[in-house]
Amino acid sequence: MSLLRNMASGLRSLFRKEQVSQELDEELNGFLDMAAEEKMKQGMSRKEALRTVRLERGNLEGTKEVVRSAGWESFAEACWRDLRYGLRLLRKSPAFTAVAILTLALGIGANTAIFSLLNGLALRDLSVPHPEQLVRFGAHVPGDDYAALSLPMFQELSRSQKVFSGTFAWWPDIVFDAEIDGSLARADVWGVDNNFYRELGVVPEIGRLFDSEDENLSANAATQVAVLSYGFWQSHYGGAADVIGKTLKIDGIPFTIIGVTRKGFTGLSAYMEMGVTLPLPARQLFGGEADMQKYLQRRAARWLQAAGRLRPGVTLEQARAQLGSLWPEIRQEMVPPDKTFADLGRFRYLQLKVESGASGEASLLRKRFSQPLYIVLAISGLVLLVACVNLANLMLARAASRSHEMAVRAALGAGRARIVRQMLTESVMLSVAGTLAGWIFAHWASHAISDFILGEIYSVPAALNLAPDWRILGFASGMAILMGVLFGLAPAWRATQEDPNVALQHGSRTLGKGTSRLGGRLIVAQVALSLVLLMGSGLFVRTLKKLRDANPGFRTHSLLDVSLHPKPNGYKDLDLVNYYRQLIDRIAEVPGVESSGMMRAIFGNVLEWTERIRITGSDAEGLEADFEMATPGFFETAGITLLQGRRFEWQDDDHAPGVAIVSQNFAQRLFPNDNAIGQRLDVMNARNWRNLKIIGVVSNASLYDIRKAQTPTVYLPSTQYKDFMGWPELLVQTSLPPAAIADALRRTVESQGREYVFSIKTVRQNIDRSILQERVTAMLSTFFGALALLLAAIGLYGLMAYAVTQRTREIGIRMALGANRSGVLRIVLREVIVLVGTGVGIGLPCALAVTRLINHMLYGVSPNDPVTLAWVVGALLAVGLLAGYLPARRAMKVDPLVALRYE
Amino acid sequence: MGDKSGDLVQGTLDMLILKTLALEPMHGYGIAVRLEQMSKGVFRLNAGSLFVAFQRLQRDGLIRSEWKATENSRRAKYYALTEQGRKRLNSETREWGRQVAAIARILEAS
Repeated sequence: MSLLRNMASGLRSLFRKEQVSQELDEELNGFLDMAAEEKMKQGMSRKEALRTVRLERGNLEGTKEVVRSAGWESFAEACWRDLRYGLRLLRKSPAFTAVAILTLALGIGANTAIFSLLNGLALRDLSVPHPEQLVRFGAHVPGDDYAALSLPMFQELSRSQKVFSGTFAWWPDIVFDAEIDGSLARADVWGVDNNFYRELGVVPEIGRLFDSEDENLSANAATQVAVLSYGFWQSHYGGAADVIGKTLKIDGIPFTIIGVTRKGFTGLSAYMEMGVTLPLPARQLFGGEADMQKYLQRRAARWLQAAGRLRPGVTLEQARAQLGSLWPEIRQEMVPPDKTFADLGRFRYLQLKVESGASGEASLLRKRFSQPLYIVLAISGLVLLVACVNLANLMLARAASRSHEMAVRAALGAGRARIVRQMLTESVMLSVAGTLAGWIFAHWASHAISDFILGEIYSVPAALNLAPDWRILGFASGMAILMGVLFGLAPAWRATQEDPNVALQHGSRTLGKGTSRLGGRLIVAQVALSLVLLMGSGLFVRTLKKLRDANPGFRTHSLLDVSLHPKPNGYKDLDLVNYYRQLIDRIAEVPGVESSGMMRAIFGNVLEWTERIRITGSDAEGLEADFEMATPGFFETAGITLLQGRRFEWQDDDHAPGVAIVSQNFAQRLFPNDNAIGQRLDVMNARNWRNLKIIGVVSNASLYDIRKAQTPTVYLPSTQYKDFMGWPELLVQTSLPPAAIADALRRTVESQGREYVFSIKTVRQNIDRSILQERVTAMLSTFFGALALLLAAIGLYGLMAYAVTQRTREIGIRMALGANRSGVLRIVLREVIVLVGTGVGIGLPCALAVTRLINHMLYGVSPNDPVTLAWVVGALLAVGLLAGYLPARRAMKVDPLVALRYE
Repeated sequence: MGDKSGDLVQGTLDMLILKTLALEPMHGYGIAVRLEQMSKGVFRLNAGSLFVAFQRLQRDGLIRSEWKATENSRRAKYYALTEQGRKRLNSETREWGRQVAAIARILEAS
């Protein structure tokens, strides 16, 4: 109540100033008159009385001022005056204002953009009700991130636990072909149980979501119904309401659409909508086991993701403890009946992983990009610091040219706090304006980077949630204020240090002192910061270069990777060996094709296939080796050379004895003294892959991760393992550009009637994709490094130019006394070199300390790589000299006559 | 200078003004004179502190003001106690009495 009244009264004095002031005038006049009349009654003359009253009670104007400044509104008014004054000043120097705002916009914008990405990727909660209650759980082998459960495991855990109010399970996305109204499209397909939508608080946009009838775990066949995501509905059905009841064919199997989820629902993923969701058991329709009950009751097959919602008051720790205590018994129950020694061993290691599900799943993206983004955020933070130092210097120069004004203000009685406030108002104003401009830049940049990264990785639409939330708003506004205060503080501090007497009397008549001490220190700091930054980005760029030049042991040019997918029912009743033999023959006839063969994996793919291999008959631990299945033609096409023995032939089919080809380093590891050819191998985790005869030794290669040193590798012929033949990657060696040959390849595949071309990429593209995080890091840090260098150059230039202006008179005298031009040049450049040199001296140890922290992100370069170091120091010196040379040249041209007449 | 308001214990000026107004509404000068009379000339207030106090009390809703004609048919702003101001005066008077008694006891004890 009284606060309101206070506000109202204050506002009245602000906005009805005239009236309030008149009232006060009248009241005070009355007061003083009455007091004077009293005195006159005692016999004083009017003049005398008035004088006495003034002495006793204070004079009119003074009192008015005291009364007026007692309320809060006078403070507000002073701030408002500061604002207007600041605005006027900034308008008067548009160039300075523009440079300052632009610098801040770039700096703050870049930081906000990176922070938004990080926020969307790793920090922000899912947009479902009470995301903090979500807890995910699954069984995993320690050291392996993949955690999942079989349906019996999930059911058993759900039944026994007391920590969750509800649990739900789903199987993660598989990209299938969907036939929508007769045309084929790519669909991201998920399966969920009937608790899934309810527990996540999802409501349908139209239609309905799954209920227990749709799920029906005890039936003999899955109910064929589907729920679409909002995005899928919009892009494939144009958002038409009559989609309900329509049929959608997924991998040839029809599903009836029953509903659409609301916009923005991304399930438990942080960045991907669940395009099409099916009832949990529908997974069985897509292959393997024909009996659905058998499929669902598999006790050891971990194919489900699971999560629960914590009961009120239960913590994650409690949930972890309870589930953990239930687990050993459940694990024991789940041991498959037809157990092998290896299976048992693996089972014993299964542990329950229980973790918060609040921020959703982004495991792949999060794992690859969180750390690079934190590093880039640190880098952009450094750039912002450099920008801040720059602005501080600019402000300092401005403050110097305003020292006269400040001196007058101080002489007229403005307090130190008042002057500091005035300066800070200006700088905060600038930084707020910069932040607003930066906000636009951040919005654009974060979307561009996110689209770039996700577009490279995913074939289905994906988007990080980059919408501003309290974290981003807090981050940006915090930065705006911090920057404003930081770069406003230096000049403000300086302004209060000056003795008004000195400033007023001497003005600019003294001999110049060269660059100001504070300004010089700021430049040194800037050079040091830039050095750290440039060192970092230099190392990232060199890492990328090394990765690009790395020899993975297979052909990286003139090689296409053609992903083949079956048409609906394409593999039904098909002799895959014969089919692929024909297909490869046909492909070889396409003009421009030099050779072709097939493999299962994609070169450089993060999902690697490794197996433990040992010599048949030995009971050794075995050797962990990269593993791959390939057809005849693969080695020639991939450019992996045969060193000994023979390659796979089409005759190596399932009637022939099992064979294998190993890499040279594998042969050396397992058979250091013997010839590997003819030796026998077992794949330990597969029951039937035994007693494989080595028929060839090939050159080393790192198929899956080009960052790794070439690892021992074992190849099996896919012709002997028909289950692994479908969905192949067809490698085509050709010197034609992909666009020139793509159509012919597509036609050839289509003409067989079984498969179609899912995508055509060059192997180079796939490898580039596999080093995406290095590319993004190098790209962003180069941008920031260049920005820092530019800022440092501008800062140095500004400082030297200012110093030269200040010393025009001194230089004039020197020249009049006989100094020659090169002497003047020397004076100026010496100062530049001292500044840059000091900066380098300070920055160097800092850089070496900091780069050690990013050592694990580097490839092929050491954190104190002398080449990078030399480049960075050279670049800084060159830029410094250039920035210093321009003002120095001006100094050389000073005409002593003009300079001395100047004042 | 006749300003002796500085001798006032911090915060007591408000209480004294409220006390003065408890009898009848008064204008600024009247309040000043009354305070001087009642204190037998111990408190002599300058216009600044007095009017700042008026503004403060008014904003706190303890007094209200009104332009009226004085006995000498001059226009002046009259201040009057509000209900809230009366309550505040009572509570402050009580509190003051308690404190004075306590201080007196301490001083006598030594």
